[in-house]
Amino acid sequence: MKRGLLALVVAALVILPPFGQPYVLHVAIVVLVNVVYAQALYVIMRMGYLSFGHAGYIALGGYASALLATKLAVSPWVGFLAGGALAAVFAWALGAVTLKLRGIYFSLSVFAFAEVVNAVFRAFEFFGGPAGIAAVPRPALFGARLNTHLQFYYVVLVVALVSLVFLYRLQWTRFGFTLLALRTRETEALAESLGINAARHKTFAFVVSCFFCGLMGAVHVHYLRFVSPFVFTFFLSTDLMVYVMVGGLGSYWGPILGTVLLTGLGEQLFAAGYYKSLVYAVVLLIVILALPGGLISLSRLIGRGGLRGRAAPVDAIAAGER
Amino acid sequence: MEVYPHLLAQGLAIGVLTGILYVLVALGLTLIYGILHIVNFAHGEIYMLGAMGAFYCLVVFKLPFAATLAVILVASLLLGLVVERLVFRSLRGQWLQLVVASVGISLIIQSLGWIAFGIQEKNVPSFFTGVVSVLGVRLPKERLLAAAVGVVLVALLYVLVYRTKTGLAMRAIEEDEETARMLGVDADRVAALACAVGFVLAALAGAFVAPIYSLNPGMGLEAILMSFLIIIVGGLGSITGTVLAGLLVGVLQSVGAVLLGAEIAYGLVFVVMIVVLIVRPAGLLGRA
Repeated sequence: MKRGLLALVVAALVILPPFGQPYVLHVAIVVLVNVVYAQALYVIMRMGYLSFGHAGYIALGGYASALLATKLAVSPWVGFLAGGALAAVFAWALGAVTLKLRGIYFSLSVFAFAEVVNAVFRAFEFFGGPAGIAAVPRPALFGARLNTHLQFYYVVLVVALVSLVFLYRLQWTRFGFTLLALRTRETEALAESLGINAARHKTFAFVVSCFFCGLMGAVHVHYLRFVSPFVFTFFLSTDLMVYVMVGGLGSYWGPILGTVLLTGLGEQLFAAGYYKSLVYAVVLLIVILALPGGLISLSRLIGRGGLRGRAAPVDAIAAGER
Repeated sequence: MEVYPHLLAQGLAIGVLTGILYVLVALGLTLIYGILHIVNFAHGEIYMLGAMGAFYCLVVFKLPFAATLAVILVASLLLGLVVERLVFRSLRGQWLQLVVASVGISLIIQSLGWIAFGIQEKNVPSFFTGVVSVLGVRLPKERLLAAAVGVVLVALLYVLVYRTKTGLAMRAIEEDEETARMLGVDADRVAALACAVGFVLAALAGAFVAPIYSLNPGMGLEAILMSFLIIIVGGLGSITGTVLAGLLVGVLQSVGAVLLGAEIAYGLVFVVMIVVLIVRPAGLLGRA
C-alpha cells in the first residue's frame, strides 16, 4: 500500500512536469529543495539536537559553487559536490567541538556560526559584499545549458530523490538506530556504556546533515542564478525547524509532510513575507502545544492510514533535557 | 600615529558602556535559563519591543520619560507572566519543544512588529545631549546614562537573587528543582517571576538604547546573537559569568572594530566563543 503510493508520487513527479506551467514548476522546485533541507535537518533533530543555523551551511554550499563557477569557470556539477563537501568540513569542525557538550551549546554555536558566515559574506568584496554574486550559470548537459524551468526541475528532482533515498536508508542502518538512542542524556549514557562513541556518531550525523544542505544549497543557487547574504538567512533556519516540528518528529515522513504542506501552500497563499512567517509561527505553536507528535501523528490516529507503515520507534522524540 | 592609543582608549570606553547593555539583555536570558532551562529565543524581540515602546510613548504619544519607563516596565512584566503561563509552563521538561516554542513566539512578535511598525527606521531623540570628556576620551551622555541605569539594574538583580527569599528559592530550584519543590518552594510562581524579571530587563535595555540606534523590528536578532555568545562564554546560568562575559564581548567588539573593522570584530567574538568552548566547555564561570 505504502510502496504503491510512493511509486505513484514518484511517477507523478517524473511524468507530470512537462504539462505544468513555469510557475507550477517553480513551486515544485522550491518544495523539493526545502524537503531536502528539512530532511537533512531532521537527521540531527531525530537525535534530539536543534540547529538554528542550518542556513549557514546551505549558504556555504551555495557560495562555494557560485564562486567556483563565476571566478574559476568550474562546472556546476563539480560545484554541487564541492558545496556539499565544504559544508561538511565546516560542520565537522564545529560539531567536533560542540557536540560533546549539552545540546544547547551546540544549538547556540551553530546559530552564531551562521550569523558570522553571513557577516563575512557581507563584509568582503571577494564574496560579492551585500550585493552578492550575480550571473551564476546553470549547469550544462551534453553541451546544452539547462536554462528552462523544466530542464532544471529534473536536475533538482534527481538530486532530491538521491538525497532522500540516502537519508531514508541511513535511518534504518545500525548507525541510524544509534542516533535515535542518543536523543536524551539517559539513553546516551546507556549507549555509551555499551561502547558506543556518542560524540563521534553525533558529529558524523551533523556532517551528513550539512553535506546535503550544502549540496542542495549549491543546486538552489544555480537555480536562482544569484546568491546574496539575504538569500539564506536565519529565517530559513527557523522555517526548516517549523517544517520538521509541524510535520512531526516521530517519523521520516513527518518533515516531508510538513514541508510540502507549508511551503507548497505557503508560497501560494501568502505572498507577503511577514504574514507568511506569522502564519507559520502560529501553526507551529498550535501544533507544539496541542499535537506533540506533529501532523503525521494524525495519520496514526485515523488508523490504518496510507503512511502508517513501519513507524519509527518513538512518537514524539526528545523528552527531557538534552 | 599619535592618535592611535587615543582611539583605542575611546574604543575601550565605548566597549564597556555597550557591554553593560549587553549584560542587561543577557542576564535576563541567564535568569530564565537557570530557572526554566529554556534558552529564550524571544528575548531579542522583547528588547525590540522595549525600544519600540520608547519610540511610541515618547515620540508618538509624547508621554513624559518616567511614564514611558513605567508603561514599558508593566507591559513587559505582564508579557513575561502571560508567556510563561500559556506556553512555557505546559511544555516543562521538554527542552526541544520549549526552545522551538520560544522561536515561534519570537517569529510571531517580529512579524507582527514588521506589520505594525513598518520597515521605516525609527529614531528617538536623545534623553540627554552632550558629551563628557574624560582624559581626552569623549563619551556621549546618553550612553553614560544607559550604562548607569544598567549598573543599577544589575545591582538590583544581584540583591534579588542573593539577598531575598525569592532569590533563595530561585537558586534552590536551579540547584535541584525536585528537592526545592519537596521543601515547599512554589516552583511555578518562581518560574513565572524569573520569566517576568528577564523580560523586564530586556525591555528596559531596549528602551535605553532607543536613542542610540536606529530602530526596526529586526533589531532583536543582533541583540540575541550577542547575548547567546555572552551566555556561552560566561557559562550558562551563571550571573557573574554573564556580567564578565558581557563586558568582555562589548570591549572586544568595540576595540576590534577600531583596529580591524566591525565585521571582523564580529568574527573575532565568535572565535573567542569557540576557544572558550574548547578550553573551558562550561564557560568562564559555569559548572559543567
